[in-house]
Amino acid sequence: MRFQIKHLRRDINQWSLFTMAIGIFIAIPVFAIIIYLFDGVGEMWDHITTHFLLSYITNSLFLILGTGVLCFLMGTSSAWIVCNYDFPLRRLIEWLLFLPLAIPSYIMAYTYVGLLGNGGSLINILQSIGLRIQRIEMMNIVGLTCVLSWSLFPYVYASARAIFKSFPNSIRETAYLLRASGHRYFFTIALPLASPAIIGGLFLVFMEVLNDYGAAKYYGINTFTTGIFRTWTALEDLQSAIYLSALLVVLVFAINFLVILQRGKKSYAIKLNQSHHSHSKRRPLQGRKKIVYLFILGIPISFGLLLPATQLLYWAFLTFDTMFNAELFWIALQSFVMAICASLFILLAALALIFFSKWNHLKTTHFFKKIATIGYVIPGAIIGIGIIRSSQTVINFFSDAFHLKIGYLFYASSVVLIYAYVFRFLAVAYNPLEANTLKLGRYLSESSYLMGISKIKTLMKIELPLLRNALVGAFLLVFIDILKELPLTLILKPYNLQTLAVKAYEYADDERVAEAALPALILMITIGLLMMVLNYVNRRYLTSQMN
Amino acid sequence: MFRQYLIILFAAILVSCSTKEKPNSENQEDQSITLYSHRHYDTDQEIFQKFEDQTGIEVNVVRASADELIQKMESEGAQSPADLLMTVDAGRLVRAKDKGLLQAVDSEILAKTIPSHLRDNEGHWFGLTKRARVIVYDKEKVDPTDLSTYEALTDPKWNDKILIRSSGNIYNQSLMASIIANNGNEKAKEWAAGVVENFARSPKGNDRDQVKAILAGEGELAVINTYYLGLLINSKDSNEVKAGKAVSVFFPNQEDRGTHINVSGIGIGKHAPNKENAIKFIEYLVSEEVQEIFAKANYEYPVNENASPSELLKSWGTFKEDQLPLSKLGELNKEAVVTFDEVKWQ
Repeated sequence: MRFQIKHLRRDINQWSLFTMAIGIFIAIPVFAIIIYLFDGVGEMWDHITTHFLLSYITNSLFLILGTGVLCFLMGTSSAWIVCNYDFPLRRLIEWLLFLPLAIPSYIMAYTYVGLLGNGGSLINILQSIGLRIQRIEMMNIVGLTCVLSWSLFPYVYASARAIFKSFPNSIRETAYLLRASGHRYFFTIALPLASPAIIGGLFLVFMEVLNDYGAAKYYGINTFTTGIFRTWTALEDLQSAIYLSALLVVLVFAINFLVILQRGKKSYAIKLNQSHHSHSKRRPLQGRKKIVYLFILGIPISFGLLLPATQLLYWAFLTFDTMFNAELFWIALQSFVMAICASLFILLAALALIFFSKWNHLKTTHFFKKIATIGYVIPGAIIGIGIIRSSQTVINFFSDAFHLKIGYLFYASSVVLIYAYVFRFLAVAYNPLEANTLKLGRYLSESSYLMGISKIKTLMKIELPLLRNALVGAFLLVFIDILKELPLTLILKPYNLQTLAVKAYEYADDERVAEAALPALILMITIGLLMMVLNYVNRRYLTSQMN
Repeated sequence: MFRQYLIILFAAILVSCSTKEKPNSENQEDQSITLYSHRHYDTDQEIFQKFEDQTGIEVNVVRASADELIQKMESEGAQSPADLLMTVDAGRLVRAKDKGLLQAVDSEILAKTIPSHLRDNEGHWFGLTKRARVIVYDKEKVDPTDLSTYEALTDPKWNDKILIRSSGNIYNQSLMASIIANNGNEKAKEWAAGVVENFARSPKGNDRDQVKAILAGEGELAVINTYYLGLLINSKDSNEVKAGKAVSVFFPNQEDRGTHINVSGIGIGKHAPNKENAIKFIEYLVSEEVQEIFAKANYEYPVNENASPSELLKSWGTFKEDQLPLSKLGELNKEAVVTFDEVKWQ
């Protein structure tokens, strides 16, 4: 007992208190939702369990397995090729492979019906060259799996690419000295070493798949998320909808548990490729291999990017004269500023959680970190309810206790929306940053402390610069997610704010898909440009470091 | 280097947050109204702008789906800034009324302009534009004299020929509610089962997709809202125009109760800070001038009988509409969804 109290006195310091405070503050909506759970299931629960629950589970599992396999194949293979081989346009392709993420999945779903459905543009082309083909049916669960995979595989690609790039040359050279073939090297060394990163990417894919609403609804597939909406809106049973969300969260935890199980106690530490000079040398592609590998790269690029982007361009061209105006740029600017602000807050929150808890030994802070990052697994609309409910409590408190009307602060400003984004997407930035921080190890920071340099200063001077790449990567992922985000933005945005995603959604929802294309394209271009700028800044920084 | 970045970041954040706050919404005396709207047509924006120009009253719009807006108003309670709630179907307005989110309005202009079955009998909400849910058929394959009523869609001769979207869609739910109201629950269930039997494919896509499927030969009949056909025929995509022109409109149940219609409507929030302005706004929306804009731009039928529908709508002819009070649709909505589920109408 005395022992524990001694620990307590050591562990309760400003950092652990900060961690808990941030964790609790961010997780407020979770508590609001948990309070709902105490009211029990709603009256429609039996109806849902008899008619739907099974199909929700089987469809969601099918989608997870299907997208899991496809994203793994496309993401890992393309990352391997761009990291290890040289071929024409390699740099461009390396960058293009990220871009499918910039097309919201529901827009991708619409473009594929526009391409391959009845009277689709690709079908017309095929017919004009003499093929007797009416349509390629996309609006079924296989089609949905494909569409979601094409739009989400970059999550796997990004994490696989990062890890493949960090492999030191020595691993490969050793393997070749021992006469391992290229295949053997890939399957027995590279892939197992990269597996935690790849699984991390897959986890993000699964979350997006489980949270997808627009695409599944349009294709007429019952999933958990469409079910939650149906229960809430059509069956007017919010209670049961929240219970369905709770089930979904259980499903996510099950997946998470499998990931941890896979990782086990194995260590995946590798001495990273820190120096720029020992970068794994890329070998030129030649002969038959070149054709095969370029074909493998061609699949994700054409299905994830070229085909849908061409269809979007075609639609944008059709509706250009009515859709193109100054307002669109104003909207783009608003989305951009909003997403940048929120992404920065998310990075700050993630760094605070990681480092504050690193600076103390209290085990329980892990719990607070976990609940702060749970937002990614809860359907956006349910988070919306939780946030409205909790902000309402705050507003009522102020009006009851102090007769202060602070409602306008919540309705007319973006404060609540930014908060919602932080809650929703914290995990997206937190997980990779934490992984990279762990890789840094303690010895650098501890030597710095030994020299009497404060924790904050060490963070600023040593740890953050070392995390630079990870920070840029996390920023990008979060930024893209926020730019595409729909349900929360719709319900929590102040009325004078418009975003590109909302604009595109409004048209698509009204069955004016062609009109939705231009906002969607601008969204894509915005993300593309930002990626280019960050890439440039990063490269310049690296060069300046080397000189 | 990092510190500099951080300072710039914070400056940017502060600037962006401070510019977005418009303190005028705190002042309740000001000339503005807040509209929660499920409608998001560009023409609506023009109509609001005109209102602003004419009256000096600014219209702030929050756009999301009706269910989310209702949830939002409910949680906001007495401090809700919502003066008005605008939806694309009557059912959601009934739900808002049932939850005590709307208040009664006594306006002679509205009572005079809007037919009584298109508004709430206690004045909680008002229909603004009408949409008819009609049968469209393949001009080449279907003889319109074979068509008669919604009920007749269960006839075995339409086996594998009917195209309709999923039951998650509110327009289908309202149609089902009207059938329950007119024929009773048992008959309605049999009807739904019969239609499911005649499906050409499992329900998917939106109303436009059903028409395109007719052109592609997947089916011969589709049940859709009139204005989607208007949008198809006037689309910039030549394939959509082709699909729209391949079909004709049939108004069902002309011999008995009339074709099912729904409205896009509006109600005033229970705690509306600017009630007077909000009433002015609704009265403005049903004025002849605005009603014609609604009709022309979005191919909806005006509720104001003095306003004329667009040329395209006129070309489809006039029709007898179901006089069922639309509040019934809201009351029976849940029952409709449950019935759909029971017959496995996806």
